[in-house]
Amino acid sequence: MGATPLVEMIDIEKHFGGIRAVDHVSIDLFPGEVVGLLGHNGAGKSCLMKMLAGAMTPNGGEIRVDGKPVAFGEPNDARAKGIETIFQTLALADHLDAPANLFLGRELTTRFGNLDEAAMMDAARDVLSRLNPNFKNLRDPVSSLSGGQRQVIAIGRAIYFDTKILIMDEPTAALGPSETAMVADLIRQLREEGIGIFLVSHDMHDVFDLCDRVVVMNKGRVVGSNRIDEVTKDDVLSLIIKGELPMDWQPRNLEVTR
Amino acid sequence: MADIGKPAAFDGIGRVRFGAGSLQRLSALLTLFALVIGFGLASSAFLSVNNGLTILLQTSVIGILGIGMTMVIITGGIDLSVGSVLALAGVISGFAVKAGLPVFPAMTLGMLAGAACGLFNGFVITRMRIPPFVATLGMMLIARGLALQLTGATPVSGLGRSFGMLGNGALFRVVEMQQSGFPRVIFPGIPYPAILLAVVAVLIAYILRRRRIGRHIYATGSNEEAARLSGVRTDHTKLYAYTMSGALAGIAGNVLMSRLVTAQPSEGVMYELDAIAAAVIGGASLSGGVGGVGGTLIGAFIIGILRNGLNMSGVSAFIQQIVIGFVVIGAVWIDQIRNRPS
Ligand SMILES: Nc1ncnc2c1ncn2[C@@H]1O[C@H](COP(=O)(O)OP(=O)(O)OP(=O)(O)O)[C@@H](O)[C@H]1O
Ligand SMILES: [Mg+2]
Repeated sequence: MGATPLVEMIDIEKHFGGIRAVDHVSIDLFPGEVVGLLGHNGAGKSCLMKMLAGAMTPNGGEIRVDGKPVAFGEPNDARAKGIETIFQTLALADHLDAPANLFLGRELTTRFGNLDEAAMMDAARDVLSRLNPNFKNLRDPVSSLSGGQRQVIAIGRAIYFDTKILIMDEPTAALGPSETAMVADLIRQLREEGIGIFLVSHDMHDVFDLCDRVVVMNKGRVVGSNRIDEVTKDDVLSLIIKGELPMDWQPRNLEVTR
Repeated sequence: MADIGKPAAFDGIGRVRFGAGSLQRLSALLTLFALVIGFGLASSAFLSVNNGLTILLQTSVIGILGIGMTMVIITGGIDLSVGSVLALAGVISGFAVKAGLPVFPAMTLGMLAGAACGLFNGFVITRMRIPPFVATLGMMLIARGLALQLTGATPVSGLGRSFGMLGNGALFRVVEMQQSGFPRVIFPGIPYPAILLAVVAVLIAYILRRRRIGRHIYATGSNEEAARLSGVRTDHTKLYAYTMSGALAGIAGNVLMSRLVTAQPSEGVMYELDAIAAAVIGGASLSGGVGGVGGTLIGAFIIGILRNGLNMSGVSAFIQQIVIGFVVIGAVWIDQIRNRPS
């Protein structure tokens, strides 16, 4: 694994009034690594990811990308550093069609600054068919699409651009089994390309299938950060629910070799 | 090649909005035809060329205001200040002419004053986080108060013939001097206000459909948080929409005052309601994300023709208000039926 992490989030804080959504959290990510971020509902996972995505400003702490401190004022600042995000809410504009959503905020334009609809449509057709070959109704407003199709657009938007760091906040929540498998393949492929991925998920199976490391949050704090072969599903469940590992826990991989 | 590609894609985007507002726009268009036929049958004078020009003149002011309003409504906002801003802009143009400025720069100054009011609206809405309804209600009072204070509530007159050109002149007007010494109008020409309306309509339609800022206006109204997360500067987008609305109110003010050849600080009261009605009849949704210049134009003509036709048939101004009130409710009702989950 490379010497400098792709991302370091150090001692990050975020509070809303009295609520400590993210409480002195430190987390990192290396190139070609998939880090699973787990935790109960309201644990602070999305808030932490939004701060890395430039969609939320931290109250304290430091974010470094490639070892250099960064300050994101808006999502496009994070994107400029190669950070792409699939937001839990998908962040789609309902009245616009798939290509318009795919390029929202960074539309392709012609020499004269007019929207280049043809180019955006071609690109959208390419990237969406890669994720879902049955995706045909590209010109319908996304409000009329199925939940899975909408999610595919959100995923397509994150991988189309020059991505170095990918944040996936429950990317498969609305997907059927075959689409979920497709996303799993996609994650493996992106990891091969050296992209670092944060995967927020409640699906223990997916996490154990795809991740190199798991980080568990509980009430805004990180309560566990382990290599995936050190822990079992029960260990992770215990971290999520109780906020601690089982009493007699030792790294499982050592146990086996012993 | 690019020229073939573009209209096709344009169609695609067009259809998105067409699909969303097509039923309403179609019914608005049918209403428009029904009105023309109905009033035409009721009074032969209605269909005369002169009356047509009158309608065109009346509609141009509502139309220009309505187009600006449409931009604001698509962002999910509302602009209640346009009637007052229109008056303030007209007054400023009048004063500028009085101060010795030529008409064109004077009117430009009036338009800029309108834009400044719009910018202020946008600032209050985006920086101070005041809801558009309240912010523009404030501006409605501020601009009206300013117009009245500056003029001492008396009209500014004696502005000279050239000030009246924009409102009363026409392109391609052909007048022949008869032997009797009286002029005879061969072709009344196309009134400048109508030309201005057409130019404004084409320009704003182009901005909304072909430019990035137009796309962002729709996205902001469709889902503001999603637009922000996607990298759209929603505050900047809203500032733009309100500033444009103010500038267009300024232009409308110039047209109206020029027609009267007087700057009237009390003109334009309740015009904001006509502008909103035009946009809504034309298919704009007050919850944002939907609307267009074409629809608003139809809406403006429906209101203009209703007013004119009812006038010609001798219906009182009070009854006219009642009728237009019902038309607005009916238009929004159709919109509701369309959006009702089936
Ligand atoms: N914009 C906000 N304003 C106020 N409180 C917020 C805001 N966003 C999040 N919170 C609070 O911060 C806490 C963490 O929320 P967050 O969305 O990060 O949880 P999560 O771990 O992603 O949960 P889930 O699994 O349900 O997605 C919650 O208590 C939530 O109510
Ligand atoms: Mg979440």
